[in-house]
Amino acid sequence: MLGFIESLLNGILMGSIYGLTAVGLTLIFGVMKVINFAHGSILMVGMYAAYWVVTKTGMNPYLALLVVVPFLFCFGYLLQRFVIKPIFDAEKDVREPITVIIVTTGIWYVLDNLALILFGAEYRVAKTSVTGKMFEFMEMYFLVPKLIGAGITLLCGVYLYWFLKHSRTGKAIRATSLDREAATLMGIKQSQIYNIAFGLGAACCGVAACVLIPFYYVYPTVGVPFDIKAFVIVVLGGLGSIPGAILGGIIIGIIETVGAQFMAATWTELLIYAVFLVVLFVKPSGLFGLRQDF
Amino acid sequence: MTWSSKFMAAAAALTLTLGTAGFGAAADVVKIGNIEPLSGPSAAVGIQGQKAREMAVEEINAAGGIKSLGGAKLELLYADSKGDPTTGVTEAERMINSEKVHLLTGCWNSAVTYPTTQVAERYGVPFIVPVSVRDTITERGFKNVFRIAAKDSWWTRDQFQFLKDMQQEFGAEVKKVAFVYENGDWGTGFAEGWRKLAKAAGYEVVLDEPYPSTASDLTPVVIKLKRAKPDVVFMTSNAADAILLTNTMAEMKVNVKAIITSGGGHADPSFIAAAGKNAEYLFDIVEWETDLNRPGLKEVNAKFNAKNGQNLNGESVDAYAAMYLIKDVLERAGSLEPGKIREALASTKLCGGDVGLLAYDCIEFDESGQNQNASLVVVQLRQNGETMDRITVWPKNVRRDGYTPVFPQPAK
Repeated sequence: MLGFIESLLNGILMGSIYGLTAVGLTLIFGVMKVINFAHGSILMVGMYAAYWVVTKTGMNPYLALLVVVPFLFCFGYLLQRFVIKPIFDAEKDVREPITVIIVTTGIWYVLDNLALILFGAEYRVAKTSVTGKMFEFMEMYFLVPKLIGAGITLLCGVYLYWFLKHSRTGKAIRATSLDREAATLMGIKQSQIYNIAFGLGAACCGVAACVLIPFYYVYPTVGVPFDIKAFVIVVLGGLGSIPGAILGGIIIGIIETVGAQFMAATWTELLIYAVFLVVLFVKPSGLFGLRQDF
Repeated sequence: MTWSSKFMAAAAALTLTLGTAGFGAAADVVKIGNIEPLSGPSAAVGIQGQKAREMAVEEINAAGGIKSLGGAKLELLYADSKGDPTTGVTEAERMINSEKVHLLTGCWNSAVTYPTTQVAERYGVPFIVPVSVRDTITERGFKNVFRIAAKDSWWTRDQFQFLKDMQQEFGAEVKKVAFVYENGDWGTGFAEGWRKLAKAAGYEVVLDEPYPSTASDLTPVVIKLKRAKPDVVFMTSNAADAILLTNTMAEMKVNVKAIITSGGGHADPSFIAAAGKNAEYLFDIVEWETDLNRPGLKEVNAKFNAKNGQNLNGESVDAYAAMYLIKDVLERAGSLEPGKIREALASTKLCGGDVGLLAYDCIEFDESGQNQNASLVVVQLRQNGETMDRITVWPKNVRRDGYTPVFPQPAK
């Protein structure tokens, strides 16, 4: 029984961090209707940034958020402005701009391989003040950085939700995601909103990177397993829904951890994809998704 | 370079690019196709193999190339398998058909080597497998596949022998064992061996857990392991999962008498760097270690380290030796005809000298193409000041002087 509770809670902790990467993905999709295949690579960029900041300056990893998150926001902003936007503009009159998706795949390959060339294939672990710290409770162990990470994730989710609901920029983002043309007619600069949305999506990866770095390692393709999960989570939670992404993440985390207590860990991966397929069949809009008109 | 030699080089390059059958009698280069995981989860080890090959080939070429072929130089061509069998097969086809390689080496991941050697066999191209441990790679009656490293049934056999010897030496009791392994060919192959050996030795298997190497979180596996309370854990992992498992096990205070790992990820230099103190006391079985008392080892390792900032490991030593094996074979074959190369390979008896840094004396292939002398050693990881030392402890006759292994390991 203790093993069950221990794995359940651990699943929730890890799952909420998965949820955070998925939030970034769902935000970009919701606003731009672009599936960002480079999302995992952006997480990787964030993790290298967090790694270097933490190891070079000895900064507390959670303080590093103040450096890494703005950096990732700018990174995403500029990526959209200078790489993705030109493609968008070129395909303005195409109903289903597929090239943009291909471009994000290209960015994925370029970033991963650039990291391989620049940093090598080594696995790097940052030794921080919270690395390896455990919280013990009735013979159950929880990793302190995971606890903190889950807390930060929830705060971020709540803040982002508030930001989109109540701030002026947030309202403009939502307006754009609802109806591009109408929003443009109302004087919202569409490309500017795209830049911000992509920046925010990348910034979510920046937050995830900082909370991962105290207990996870960095290597050039570190984004791939997170990326795949983020896609499943986004579909599960509903495309474009932030609460859906966080809840979806927690569900995936629980399946992964609790599932492994009853079957070989190999099978839980299968189980995650099974859930993915079932959601697609039964409720394609996901748990919190709206019926969207693409 | 003089004018005439420049002209010759240009002419040779032209001949090659035009793809005419201009070389055959007097070859200028021997093309060696290397299929390695240069990206993906096993990239770290693939790149080490690449660096070792490059160093060996530089040395061979600088020393005048292959004399029996008129000083022909070795040329390395690489294909990235990404650790993926399908890619490996496609690349092998490309290497043979488009690049016209004379020899192939690779592929580290057994899952890639297995189907890829099949391609080589079909085309009759000699394939040298420096490392890939799956037994069946050399047990299919192939004529062109030669393996330098020990096969995995030898690894598991020696792991259990080691455990038995340790129990005897230290009078510790071991009843319950756990198996944790990556779910690829390599891990599942090892697990099969372990199951048989555990049954024969009378151990109770309390956990038999495969896991996906690409998992982003291995806490679930560690929770299971902790609840199973084994005395000894046998493990087969790639680098990323080895780091994750070792750190999570230490953090969750999983207490066992010994952890016995299977080289691979645990022998990867980045594993020690990333797991740090959490990896202490672990026993790792490898084909080779830097502290072995072998001729030439220190010099070659120092050179490699100066070049790449890393020590050699089992994989890179086998890759290095493979290049000298190729040199030896070509010298004796005196021809680039696949049949001749194959014959020379089969009759190899390469001892000491340039392959003297291997853990054993000679490379010699049996009927199946397996190096019959390949042997294994067990090391223990110990903190030594700032660095984590890999100390050879088994077999007892090669144990580092003055070292007593720690068994069982202290509680966390």
